[in-house]
Parts: sequence; structure tokens; C-alpha cells
Amino acid sequence: MRAALSRLDAKGSPYLYIVPFFLLFGVFGLWPLLYTGYVSFNDWDLLDAGEHTWVGLANYRELLGDAYFWNALGNTLSIWVLSTVPQLLAALWIAHLLNHRLRARTSLRMGVLLPNITSIVAVTIVFTQMFGRDFGMINWLLGIVGAGPVDWQANTWSSHLAISLIVAWRWTGYNALIYLASMQAIPHDLYEAADLDGANQRQQFWRITVPQLRPTIMFTAVISTIGGLQIMAEPLLFAGTSTPTGGSDRQFQTAALFMYEQGFREFRFGYASAIAWTLCLVIAVFAVANFLLTRRIANDEK
Amino acid sequence: MTLLAPVEKPAPPVEKRPVRRRVFGYPRRASVWTYAALLAVVAGSVFPLYWSLVVSSQTSEAVAQVPPVLVPGGHLFDNIARVFDSTDFGQALLNSLIVSGSVTVSVVFFSTLAGFAFAKLRFRGRKVLLVLAIATSMVPQQLGIIPLYLLMAKLGWTDHLAAVIVPGLVTAFGVFFMTQYLGRAVPDELLEAGRVDGCSTFGLYWHVVLPAARPAAAVLGLFTFMQAWNDFFWPLVVLQDNATVQVALSSLASGYTTDYTLTLTGTLLATLPILVIFMLLGRQIVGGIMQGAIKG
Amino acid sequence: MRFLRTVGALAAATMMLTACGSGGGSEGGGGDITLDVNLFGNFGYEQLYKEYEAAHPGIKIQEHTAAYNDHHRDLATHLATGSGAGDIEGVDTGFIAQMREAGKQFVDLGTERQAEYLPWKWQASLTKEGQQIGYGTDVGGLAICYRRDLFEKAGLPADRDAVSASWAAGWDKYLEVGAKYTAKAPAGTAFFDGGGALYNAVIGQAPQGFYAPDNTVVVASNPEVRKAWDLVVRAIQGNMSAKLVESSPEWNNGFAKGQFATIACPAWMMAKIKDQAKSFAGKWDVASVPGGGGNWGGSYLTVPKQGKHVEEAKKLAAWLTAPEQQARNFTSQGLLPSIPALYDKPEIANYKDPFFNNAPVGKLFTTAAKELEPQYQGPRTGDIQTTIRDGLIRVEQGKQGSEQSWTQTVSDIERLTK
Repeated sequence: MRAALSRLDAKGSPYLYIVPFFLLFGVFGLWPLLYTGYVSFNDWDLLDAGEHTWVGLANYRELLGDAYFWNALGNTLSIWVLSTVPQLLAALWIAHLLNHRLRARTSLRMGVLLPNITSIVAVTIVFTQMFGRDFGMINWLLGIVGAGPVDWQANTWSSHLAISLIVAWRWTGYNALIYLASMQAIPHDLYEAADLDGANQRQQFWRITVPQLRPTIMFTAVISTIGGLQIMAEPLLFAGTSTPTGGSDRQFQTAALFMYEQGFREFRFGYASAIAWTLCLVIAVFAVANFLLTRRIANDEK
Repeated sequence: MTLLAPVEKPAPPVEKRPVRRRVFGYPRRASVWTYAALLAVVAGSVFPLYWSLVVSSQTSEAVAQVPPVLVPGGHLFDNIARVFDSTDFGQALLNSLIVSGSVTVSVVFFSTLAGFAFAKLRFRGRKVLLVLAIATSMVPQQLGIIPLYLLMAKLGWTDHLAAVIVPGLVTAFGVFFMTQYLGRAVPDELLEAGRVDGCSTFGLYWHVVLPAARPAAAVLGLFTFMQAWNDFFWPLVVLQDNATVQVALSSLASGYTTDYTLTLTGTLLATLPILVIFMLLGRQIVGGIMQGAIKG
Repeated sequence: MRFLRTVGALAAATMMLTACGSGGGSEGGGGDITLDVNLFGNFGYEQLYKEYEAAHPGIKIQEHTAAYNDHHRDLATHLATGSGAGDIEGVDTGFIAQMREAGKQFVDLGTERQAEYLPWKWQASLTKEGQQIGYGTDVGGLAICYRRDLFEKAGLPADRDAVSASWAAGWDKYLEVGAKYTAKAPAGTAFFDGGGALYNAVIGQAPQGFYAPDNTVVVASNPEVRKAWDLVVRAIQGNMSAKLVESSPEWNNGFAKGQFATIACPAWMMAKIKDQAKSFAGKWDVASVPGGGGNWGGSYLTVPKQGKHVEEAKKLAAWLTAPEQQARNFTSQGLLPSIPALYDKPEIANYKDPFFNNAPVGKLFTTAAKELEPQYQGPRTGDIQTTIRDGLIRVEQGKQGSEQSWTQTVSDIERLTK
């Protein structure tokens, strides 16, 4: 009897533990998404209270020939690379710095994490002021060192740089603490053995710390990819006027912002849904590629 | 640089250590450069927030001064009073606390539970289900709000806090995070030993996994709380009677033009409670990370 | 475990709070009804609600305000899902034509009050089928606010009447003044704020704008649209623009920093200038708008059919926008009525503002509002304006020349309206 119960426990309880997640997620996460999928095959005017006609793949066909979509996708990738790569490297470095015996270590850690508790709205307003063309703090600093003022919003590169900085500022500390948590878990004797072998700190960092962090690095890379490719609020607020076109020439309109524009400004719910699902596919491809790539890099380091 | 160097010299850790200690202790002792670099990082983290405090304490004319205003002025309380005049900020704070608190507890609990199952238990379909869970976080959420809104309207939850709480009770991120963490932090031998002692699966969860998950739970909890607190898009659509803080902030921006001093004062006020929680619990959370997971 | 226990206790506490804190509080006891009024920005109705509640026992009014874009997006969401809209929803001029296309979602407010309103205000919220979806609240009117001191420094006549006269003949004259100003402009200042706002003022006076009355888009074929574009481009190329985008944070700063000498100025803009540019009190003045007529902004109160108390909402909306209340809103909030009969009342006709050097602003704005010829506004007028604004910004930023930017603007608008 007891044995039977225990077998039932071993077989059944795993499902029991994941059921709440899938149940809640199914209803409040998955269902809306599947519905969005259905909508994407329709011509659907948001203002027309659900009136729609089935158009098959027309929305997707239109999307693939839409120069503004490709423009937005390119911007997304550019901002994603500009924000994610330096962000993760900086996080690794900061985590390494924090992984010392430090005075005031708690305060330092909290200080690093501070940007993450602020709201995107607040942060973007502050940074937009700092990146101001005529009276911004950054152009003022540039002026002191003799560099000309930059119209940050006007150019493609400068707007991407500014938005990437806003994103990276907010998330670097967060990733650093995740790395730190994993660094704390690396067995000390690995370092002790390396010390005995005469390996220096740099070698130890690349040969022990980084490979040991492999699952965590993969985790942050995948999460950053998923988040980074969905960036919407920052470019929307960076424009300063709440116009979702991402600048006068769409120079910093991301794919998610393009979706927002089509859905909530053009009220083309069907087309916007098609963008959502296409973007989802792109993210999946990148997340998987990222996963494989980081795994390989981390393996090579070993 | 030359000023800093001597500080390091008088007390090299190596000599002062008892002889039997190894040359390098672990974690290593921080050098002056480590401190300098960290202080620079912290300064960069704090500055934008500090500057929003500066702006909040000025009149709107001061926002764009060159050279920039870097010291707080005397108008902070005027501006705070204006915020409270414009919206029911107290109620909004309470609502946000309710929402973020419930969401946090739930996410930590269910994520740890599911993470345990995915990381440590063998069952049919484990891999597929895990990939499915992760895949769910890839779809941009902004567009799901129309169907979600329809659902909430059917359930009669619009304008109730439940409409914001319930969809947030689980996150794919939390499950992924805990799966990754528990996979490393809980040695299989420990679980085996527990089974030999006659623990049920839930017993293992309660006695072995939950304690081991504590540092990660603290981190996940904090991040979940922040995210719920700062969530803006969905509450704005679904809540009108029971505004959360971020929704209340939206009403500070006026029709044709925006008073940034007022907006920034509002965002500062909205950040303040979370800053306090961060100061109180953050110590514990960061401390939790410090103690490390691998003990049992 | 202490942390988890703390969290647990917190959770238990919050659950209890949830139980008593949130449950449906919108219906009061004793058969009271609550009217939800969803607005953006400041309509200044608080005092009026109190009076209405006092006069109508059993009715309570609850106002919710959100930011401009958020509010209109939420209204669209609520219309789309068939639920969640308030009993009364405010709609701005920039969105009214679009809402009009979804007219069947709104209650028809009838024709009784047509005679009260400015004709163009009334028409803008009238559907093709003749259904009225919203009562007008305020209008903007239009004048040119200018900095006396900067005009003097640039060696131009700064007297109000002289300034008005100098460009009374139209926008070409305005540009001539601008060229003179620019030749001797004080450092760090430009003649006007940015191309987009100027363009709207210019095109607003044309008999036909972006749409023909049958809702076809005539941007590419209507010579007036291109004429206004060329005029603004000329001003930009003459270095008259401060290159600030209306409503952006930098534009906000522009007031305080005194970056421009003139700005197209509706009635509600005065509060903005007073707030942003306190140190320039008495240095601002107001002249009439070139070409005589104009409007920027203003709103409507609509009653969505999905509201719970449609009849009561109609009554409240009518009362809030009635002449008496509009007149009071001018005195208390500076919002210009949309009912021309009020313009002759002394408190409006004789209204002068000391901040603006005692300019007779009441008269200036009402004149512009009265002289504005009705121009048919199609559903996407607001978005077309934004698209043209972006096109002009490209010219201002030096990203494109006039021709290239115009071509892109036209194709963007075609895409927008297809």
C-alpha cells in the first residue's frame, strides 16, 4: 500500500506541480495569444467593434513586402545588439568586481541593482532630457570636451545608441546580480586548485568562472534576447511626443513599436496581430540560435 | 592614482593572515581599483534617479538650464502637494501594494514548485513542456490585451484588482529562472537521501528544495514585485476605478502639454515606496545571495 | 526562512485587503447611480459636478483622467471589445473624426442644440448619416503669441496693432516679417517654434484641406496642401524655425529658454506659456493670426451606447456643455467656449491678460474662431497632420530635401488612408 502510494507520488506529483502554471498560463496567457493568431488571418478594424472578414494569409503577405516592417526589424536588431552585448559583458565584469570580499558589500550590490527598480516611464523621461538637443546634459558635457552637439533623435546611429543606453542602464545591474548569485555557488576548491597550479586571476576568470556560469549566461542571453527584441516603451517615450513612428523617418521604430502603431494608432488589429506572430517567430529563432551559440562559446572556453 | 596606491600597501592581506591560510583567500579581497570601479558603477546607477529628485524640487523652468542644475531646490513639497491635488495617490499606492504583494508571493511559490518538477523530477513530456513554458514568453504581450480584455469583461473583473493580479500569478520567466537555478543548487544526492528517509515528493520540496531555493526566491521575489509595481500598459486599459500607481501617474500628464516637473515628482513618489522596500528587504535579499546556495 | 515568512505574512495581509478593498464599489446604496466620466487632461469640471449632484439627488459623478494618447487608445479598446467605456467619454478634436466613423457605437445627441454651436464645431462630430456623436466643449481659436522684447531687439515694430497689421494680408507677409527678424535675430532665438504647428495654422484656413466631403483623400491633388508645405519649407530654409516638435519636452523647454519669438497660439496655450515662461511676464503679447481665422484643439463629450446609464449621461453631457457652464469654464479655466453667442458677453469680449501685456485676448481668440471657415475634416486628419509634421521635421533635421520628403509624406499618407 505504502509502496503504491509512493509510486503514485513519484509519477503523479510532477504534473501536479506544473499544473498551476500551465492552467493559469493557458487561460490568461495562451488563450489571448491564440486568439491573436486567429485575428491575424482577418481584416479587423479595431474601432468597428469586432467586425472582420477572413483574409487568409493576406496580412502576412503584405507584411513581407512592407518596407516599414523590415526597417523596424533592422532597428530592433541594431538596438538589441547595441544594448545586449555590452550589457552582458558589463554585467559579467560588475559581478566579478562584486565577487570580492568587500566593505559595504550590501550597499554596493543594492546600488548596482537600483536602476532596475525604477519604472521605464521615469527613466526614459530623465534620459530623454539628458539627451536633449539644445540643453541636454550630454551635449553640454560633449561641448566641454569640444565635441559638437549631437541631435540624438535625428540620426539613426545616435538614436539607437541613446535607446540602447537607456535599456542597458536599467538591466545591467540585474544581470550582474544574477551572475553574482551563480558565482557564489561555484565550489571554492576549483579556485584553490588553480591557485596551486599558479593560474593568475584573469586565467581563472576565463577558465573557471565563465564556464561554470554557462547555464546562467545562457539564461541571461536568452532572456535578454526575448526582452530585447520586444522593446517598445523606450523608443515610444524617447520620441517625446508619443507618436509611435519612432522618429521623423522611422529611424528608431522597433518591430514591437511598429506593431503598436498598426494596432493602436491605425487600429488595424488583424495586421498588428500578424506582426505580433511574425515577431514571435523571429524571437524564437534568435533565442534558439543564441542558446546554441552561447552554449558553444561557453563549451569552447572550458 | 599615486594618492590611492599607498592605501593599499600598509595592510596587504597576505602577510596579516595566519600562516596556515592559503596565499589567496576566497572570495578574494578587493583592491582599491575594485572599489573605485564599483563606486563609478554605483554613481552611474544612482545619478539619473538623483537628477529626477533635483528636477522634482525645482520649478519647471529649471529643467533645461545650462550648465545643468545639480542641486535640489526648494519646491519639492509644492510639487508633491500638486501631485496629491491632481490624483487620489494614497488609494493608488494601496492598490499597487495589494497587486504587487499578491503577484510576488504567488509567482515565487508556483515558480519554485514548477521549477522543482522540471529540474529534478522525471516525468513523461518534461522537456517538451519546459520548452513550451519558455516559448510562451516570446510572444509580444502588448497585443494580447484585447482578447484578455474580452475575457476579463466576460468574467466581470474589469475595474477590479483581480484583473491585474490573476494574469500575473504565474510567469514563464519565473519557472525558467527557478528551473535553471534549482538544477544547479540542489544536488541529486541530497534528494536521494531524502527519499531514502521516506520523504514524499512534497516533503522533498518543503524540506530540501524550498530552503535551497531561498536566495533565488528572494531575487525572483524582488524582481517580480518591481515588475508588478511598474507595470503600466495593462492596468491602464483594465483599471479605471481602482487605479494603481502607474495609472495614477498617467493622469498627471495633461491634455495638450506635459509638465515634466509634475510628472517626475509623481514618478519619484511612485518609486519611493519601492525604494523603501528595496532598502529594507534588499539587504536581506542581497544577503541571501551572499550566503550562497550550496550548503546542504 | 525568515524572508519567506515575512513575505507570507505580507501575502496573508494583502489577501485580506483584497477581500474588502476592491469589491464593486461603483454602485452606492439606495438606488443611486454613478456616472463615470472619462477624460484626458484638465476639463475643470470638479465644481460643476458638485452642483449637478446637489441638483440631482441619486446621481453621483466619478471622473477618471488619463494622458491624452492613453485615454484615446483606451476608448478605442473599449469600443472594440464592446465594454468598459464610461458613461461619458471626452474626445479631442484630433480624434473626433475617427470616432465619428464608428458612429454607431455612440448615442445620437440629436439636432436640438445645433443652432447654439459654431458651425464647424458642430459639423466635426456629425456623421454622414446626420447623427451627432458629441457635444462640443471648448475651442482653441488661434492667434499669434509673440515676444515684444525680442521684436524690439530685432528692430521690428513691437506694438500689437502694428504687428497684427504687418501680417494681416496673410502668411507670406508673416514670412517677410520672419525674414527681417532672422536677419537681426538675438542670439539663440528663431522666429517660430517648429514647422508642424505652423503648417496646421496655414492649412486650416484653406477652403479644402486633406479631404473632400465624400471622404476621399486629396492630399496629393489639392494644391492648397502643397502650397502650405512650400510656404513652411521656405520658412525652414530661411532659418526661421527653432526646429522644436510641438508637445515634446524640448519644445516645453523652448518657452522657458525663449528660443522663439512667435508661436501659433490657441487660447489654452496661454496657460502653458504662463506656466513655462514665468520670467517673461509682460514680455509676451498677442497679435491676430495672419489670414484672420483659425483653431487648434478643443474637445467633445460623447455618450457611448455601451454605457450603463445612457439617458442620465446624455443629460449630464448636455448640462456640462450648456452655454452657462461653458461661460464659467472660460472664467475659471481660460477655456474658450464653442458657443458664439457667448463671445459678446463682457467677461469674454473684454477679457485682457496682464501676463500678455494686457492684450485683449478674449476678442482676439473669439474673432479667429468666428472667422474660421468650416473645412471638412476626414477620419484621419490628425494622423495626416502628424505625418506632414514628420515630413517637415525631416527637412528641419536636414535628413531630406523638400521634394524627397514630400514624396515620402504623400506615400505615407496614402498608406495611412487606404
